[in-house]
Amino acid sequence: MSMYVIRRIFSMLITLFIISTIIFLMFRLMPGDPTASMVDPSIPPEAREQIIERLGLNDSYFVQYTKFMQNLVQFDFGDSFYYKTSALSVLRDKLGATVILMIAAMVLAYGIGVFGGAWMAWRRGSVGESIAITIALIFRSAPTFWVGIMAIYIFSVLLGWLPHSGMRSSGYEAENLFQTFFSLDFLKHLILPTVVAAIYFLATPLLMMRNTMLEVLGEDFIEMARAKGLTERRVLFNHAARNALLPVVTAGALFIGSAIGGQVLIEYVFSWPGLGREMVLAAQRHDYPLAQASFIIMAALIMIMNLVADLLYAYLDPRISYK
Amino acid sequence: MALLTVKNLNIEYTTEDGVLQAVSDINFELKEGERIGLVGESGCGKTTLAKSLMRLLPENGEIVHGEIIFKGENLVDKTTEEIRKLRWKDISMVAQSSMNALNPVYRVGDQIVEAIQAHTEATKREAIERSEELFRMVGLERKRLQSYPHQMSGGMKQRAIIAMALALEPALIIADEPTTALDVIMQDRILNQIIQLQKEVNNSMVFITHDISVVSETCNTILVMYGGKVEEQASTRDFFKNPHHPYTLGLQNAFPSITDIGEELISIPGTPPNLLDPQPGCRFQDRCPFATDVCKKVTPDLSEVSEGHLVACHYTDKVDEFRIKAKENSTWQFVQDRLAMEGY
Repeated sequence: MSMYVIRRIFSMLITLFIISTIIFLMFRLMPGDPTASMVDPSIPPEAREQIIERLGLNDSYFVQYTKFMQNLVQFDFGDSFYYKTSALSVLRDKLGATVILMIAAMVLAYGIGVFGGAWMAWRRGSVGESIAITIALIFRSAPTFWVGIMAIYIFSVLLGWLPHSGMRSSGYEAENLFQTFFSLDFLKHLILPTVVAAIYFLATPLLMMRNTMLEVLGEDFIEMARAKGLTERRVLFNHAARNALLPVVTAGALFIGSAIGGQVLIEYVFSWPGLGREMVLAAQRHDYPLAQASFIIMAALIMIMNLVADLLYAYLDPRISYK
Repeated sequence: MALLTVKNLNIEYTTEDGVLQAVSDINFELKEGERIGLVGESGCGKTTLAKSLMRLLPENGEIVHGEIIFKGENLVDKTTEEIRKLRWKDISMVAQSSMNALNPVYRVGDQIVEAIQAHTEATKREAIERSEELFRMVGLERKRLQSYPHQMSGGMKQRAIIAMALALEPALIIADEPTTALDVIMQDRILNQIIQLQKEVNNSMVFITHDISVVSETCNTILVMYGGKVEEQASTRDFFKNPHHPYTLGLQNAFPSITDIGEELISIPGTPPNLLDPQPGCRFQDRCPFATDVCKKVTPDLSEVSEGHLVACHYTDKVDEFRIKAKENSTWQFVQDRLAMEGY
């Protein structure tokens, strides 16, 4: 088991190396002059040249690349052009905000999805089930940014129940780290983006759970569980849902990658100071170091979550063993 | 008094194509300690009948008529909760495909403990001790309780399920093709074990199989089912020494006997009847080499040919002639030709 984890981490490092290379090239090949957003065009050309020289933007790509990789292994992503501080320190706070929003949305979506899917399979053919499927598909098909804007319009603008953007009210200062993430103010800000993200995530676990559940309910061991005189609830949850969960977990792991895409949109719509929003802003500002750093951290995040999902899968299914 | 009495049992499945009469007018009695065998082809209703005894029919299956009297109470009238309490404690089953009858994500021991704890006040420790005792009875090592199903062979899984079926010493065990998935040697061992354990515990058994050799070793009484009906009911001795129904004669042809090695087996041509829209008359008429016009119009009732030996055939008096002809290949070839002419 530990050998497996070590091997996985090793292959993750190789993947990260390849991703870093691609990201490095991608930003260099993108149209647009990075200096334009950096340096006021009205300043004298000599000063401009100086800044460009200092940032190493005149060197050949190969030199830039070696320097980039050298710094990377030391966890130095360079300084943000825009913030003028180290990219890593800019992203450190954003990462926390993204992870919290993502985990909250995933827990909500998978919680509702797994139980709702089990319920739908159990009530197959009922009116309630058809309504649930329809709603799930509508939410799945609706563009996330649109759902987000509608949610803001209804709950913030019309009803005024929840804040429309940001992570905390302006002027609010947390006294310690616990308060930063667990204050009532923070939770209120968390609700809307979490629900909108969860709505987008929901369809996959819900429909998948329903389908695998239907399959599992036809298995012999379910009939056996009934023959044993277990209560219907026990048959449904301890025997059927427990087995139906396995493919849902796998799909969940694969889904994390595409979920990040949705996450970027949601962070942008709700002005959530997370990695996704920062990534978009950095790309717009041609802030190479910051954009590169956020892409790489995002990639690492996806890979770590995939590993966690794989390990969870081994824990859930005794037939899987990693060597 | 009989432990189990089935009276006029009729079971129907509602399907997209209409109502399927899976089981029609079944009557039988099972005394304590007795073993009864249900024999017939796939789709003849034997599994449906067995499942109905535990009220385990699928959602679209329904007992439309009849009674299942178990220990003096009619199971058909009981509520779901009453039935749930009765399952496994009074009636348990050894499932058809032992390969998939155990939940893959739980340890085998835990699945037995679960069954015990669902019906008794036993503590976890007591339930584990009972499981160990059961495993000893079926000849499995105690450490196997810790195994997951995928870590066991087919024979081991089947033994584990037999152990589980015995856990609460139920009065009745339903064994639905308990050895079908096993190789011949393992089949024999498991069968012997089932019989030996059954004699020790002295519970009754309903044995379902399409393999006549299995019932010959295990059962006191044999019910031959065809198209959802009982065609012949006899003691095992009468079944082999004095068979009457043409279907029974055909079935016996299809199994090799140790004395006629090298002879070609004769199978019954044709397929079982369509139970969505059963034709009038005898259910076996299409495939019966001795069918007459009477058979096409009048459904034969089960009538007694000797004590405890019931046959549903109009021509029980011609049985001696039937037996000789049924041994000949040409008799069944005639059915094949007739079916071909009718466009089957």
